[in-house]
Formats: sequence, structure tokens, C-alpha cells
Amino acid sequence: MNAKPLRSRIAPREAGAAPLDVVIVIMAFLAALALGASLIAERAAQGWREGLAGRLTVQIIPPQAGVAKDKIARETQAAVAILKSTDGIVAVTPLSDAQIQSLVEPWIGDGALISDLPLPRLIDAVVSPGAMVDVGGLALRLKRAAPDAVLDDHARWLVRLKGLADGIVWSAYFILALIAVATAATVAFATRAGLEAHHDIVALLHQMGAHAGFIARTFEWHYLVSTLFAATVGAFCAGLLFSLARGLELAGIEPVPFLPPMALHAWELVWMAAIPLAAAIIAWATARVSVLAAVSRIY
Amino acid sequence: MVRFENVGMRFGTGPEVLRDVTFTLEAGSFTFLTGASGAGKTTLLKLMCLGEPPTRGLINLFGHDLATTRRAEFPNLRRRIGVVFQDFRLLAHLTAFENVALPLQLAGNEAEEYEKDVDELLGWVGLGDKLHVKPPTLSGGEQQRVAIARAVVARPDLLIADEPTGNVDADIAHRLIRLFAELNRLGTTILIATHDRNLIERTKAREMRLVDGRLVELRTARP
Repeated sequence: MNAKPLRSRIAPREAGAAPLDVVIVIMAFLAALALGASLIAERAAQGWREGLAGRLTVQIIPPQAGVAKDKIARETQAAVAILKSTDGIVAVTPLSDAQIQSLVEPWIGDGALISDLPLPRLIDAVVSPGAMVDVGGLALRLKRAAPDAVLDDHARWLVRLKGLADGIVWSAYFILALIAVATAATVAFATRAGLEAHHDIVALLHQMGAHAGFIARTFEWHYLVSTLFAATVGAFCAGLLFSLARGLELAGIEPVPFLPPMALHAWELVWMAAIPLAAAIIAWATARVSVLAAVSRIY
Repeated sequence: MVRFENVGMRFGTGPEVLRDVTFTLEAGSFTFLTGASGAGKTTLLKLMCLGEPPTRGLINLFGHDLATTRRAEFPNLRRRIGVVFQDFRLLAHLTAFENVALPLQLAGNEAEEYEKDVDELLGWVGLGDKLHVKPPTLSGGEQQRVAIARAVVARPDLLIADEPTGNVDADIAHRLIRLFAELNRLGTTILIATHDRNLIERTKAREMRLVDGRLVELRTARP
């Protein structure tokens, strides 16, 4: 005799369910990818904002070729002194020649040519979180002490970067919402299709005096378990993909330079569990509503 | 137990399948329902087992006027009725044992409580060696016996059977009638729709006949 209780087997495992299960696996996989992409986009946007916010950069630009290097050095020292004496600035770091050259290396290489280029001197200043620095006044004082100094508070970049980051994040959320709706519709469709095939069982149980709640519980449990399993497989595959990307990141392999790595941190992977749970709840609710509606249509 | 008063039934805009059907089944009675194919026997049984509402007339079941009884009460009324459908309606993915156990499961009984009873009943209908066989591998007659066992296992107050001996040989038919008689002796009211004159003649039960949707009393129960 079968070890499973009879009640859990009244709703049969239908032979034609495999393709629907595969569809649920795929939709759960896509939903998990979209969710992961949203989390990565959110994290990347946050990183970009934090990377530029709270920082000032002073460039001492050589006005023309052949200007004496000691004049540039004097202006740099004067600018550093002014920055250090400014309220709200907590760290001032003039970049070395090597550091400046390393910034342009990705674009023009590391040949001997770099040392001959009239590269500006750069001074990085860190503003205390929450401190308000009078950028206009500071620029004037710098200009007086170092005529070749240009102050950049990254405001222009920050505004555009914020727009870009917000755009990416909201696009990711929009795609996530679309896939979530498609997944929900797929799960609901699969559940209803399965129930249609079992209308004779619903009618028989009804005729035998089963209450609507009993019939609904018989089917909703069946669909909850099968959907939970299928969606878990899909979400697990997506989680595996993100974990693989994380492994590459930890190994120092950068698949696409300049873009954030397509990897999720361990705590972000926990979010993947939301996909099968949500899918199972949708299947459960659809099965319950469909069975109760079907029973109410029978005399 | 069951009272029909001027019951009429039509499907959609078609002609009336049942016309002014009036009868009473007393508690503990045994009745045959006969009639030519298409006379309305199955429709009448359907009305009696709460499968359809009548187009007109009054049906009283176990003291409940169905027209005024709340729908929420219907499942409780249906549980008091055992039905043997003409097309058996067995669940193909469950074994013979599980199909028969279904009404007991619906009534909230545990497997340990009914296992012995179901085994015995299936043995009585000649299927003691096919407890764990699924319906698709059973013959038509065997499926019919599973359907009968399922209808009687919960000892219903009313048993309705549509051609219950249509697919079985004379020996098995005789055995099934003895089963119905035993159930009747224990208090179950029985209504059997059949074409089988032998079956009817072997008993002293009342016979009602449907002719073109109208009910004719042919024979009252003999002592």
C-alpha cells in the first residue's frame, strides 16, 4: 500500500504537467535573474554615488608647455595649504606623478610618452560627511593663491551619474516587475489548466458530499508543492550563476571591465528564496480560488 | 425519506424529460425504477442525489425541502446518499481499495479505522485479490463492483444505483442483490434503476416505471 496518506493523492500527478513545470522553472529562473540584476544595479549605483560624493578635486593645470615645474609645485603647495585650512575638509592628498600617470594609462598606455605629457597635478580632498563647504569662496581663494588651479566638486558628474544610476535601478525594477507578472500569470495559468483537467474529480468529490474547503485543500496543497519545487529549481540555477560570478570576482577575473561584477553577496542570495515562495503562494491562491469557483458553479 | 411532488425537468429549451413526477420512498424501502432507454431514469436519479435542481416541483429529502434548504447544508445531505453511477466514475490513479475508502476518508475516518471494513467489502464483491489494482486494469464488471462497494461502504441512509448489474454475470448479479438486500435490512433505503427483469422478479420489491417522463406505479412491495 502507498505510504502517502490517501488525501494527499486524491489530486493526481497529471502526465501532461511536465511542460508546465518546465515553464515554471524557466520563469522562476528569469525572475531570479531580474531580481539579482536589480540588486546589483542598486548596489553599483550606490557605490558610484558614494565614490564621488564628499570629495573635491583640485587640478593645477600647466597653462602651456615648458612652464617651469617648480611654479607648478609652488601652486600645488599653496593649494594644499588652502584646502587644509578650509573648514569641513578632513583630508588633503596631492597625487604623486606615478598615481596621475596610472590614471591615464588605460587610455594611452604606459610608454615613455606619458612622462613627456603636460599632465595636471591633482589634489584629492575629502569633505567631512554632512559638512557644508563654500565651494565658490574656496575656488576664489585657490585662484588667488594658485592662478592655474581649477576646483572640481563633481556636481556636474554627480547629477548625471545620479540620473544614470536611478535610470538603471528603475529599469531593473521595471524588468523585474514585468517578469514577476509574467511568472505569476504562468503559474496561475498552469494551475488553472491542471484543474480544468481534473474537473471530473472535483465533481465526484462534490457529489460524495465533500465540502468546498476539503476539495480546495486537496488541490491547493498539490499545486503549492509542485510549484514550490519547480520554482526552487529555477531560482537555484540563477543563484548558482550569480555564485559562479562571485567566484570569478574573488579570483580577480573581471569579465567586463568598467562594469560592476555580475555577482551577488551571500546575504543578497537569500533574496532568491523569495521567488519560489512567491510562486508557491500564487499557485496556492489560484488553486483555491479556482476550485471554490468551480464548486460554486456545481449545484 | 424521499418525496417528489409534481417534479418537472427540462434541459435548456428542450422538451421536458420528467413531467409531474410524484412519489414517496419510505425509510427502509426497496424500490426498482424501470423504463425504456431515454425515459428519464438517469435524470430522476440525478435529481435525487442532488446532482441537478428540478425545473419545477418540490423535492423533499430526509425531511429537507431542497428549495428552501441552504446550499451549505447540501454536502451533509449528499453524505447520506450512496450513488452507483452508470459510468462508475472511479478515480483512475487510485487503487480499488482507495476508491472504496474515499467516502470514509471524506467523513474524516483514519485509514486504520476503515482498512479492515474495506478489505472485507471488496472481498464480498469478489475483488479480494484486486485490492491494490487500479481501475484501468479492471474489467467493466470489476469496475462496477468497485463502484458499488464505494457507494455502500459508508452505510448510507439512501442508496441510488443506476444499472448496477449491467456489466456482471448472473452469479455476481445475485451476490450484489444480496448485498443490497443486506444493506436494506440494516435500514438503508434503496432505489435501483434497471432493465434486468430477472433481478426484479427475484425480489418482492416495489417497482416504479417511467414512461415518456411520467411515473407509473407498476407494483407495490409484496410482503
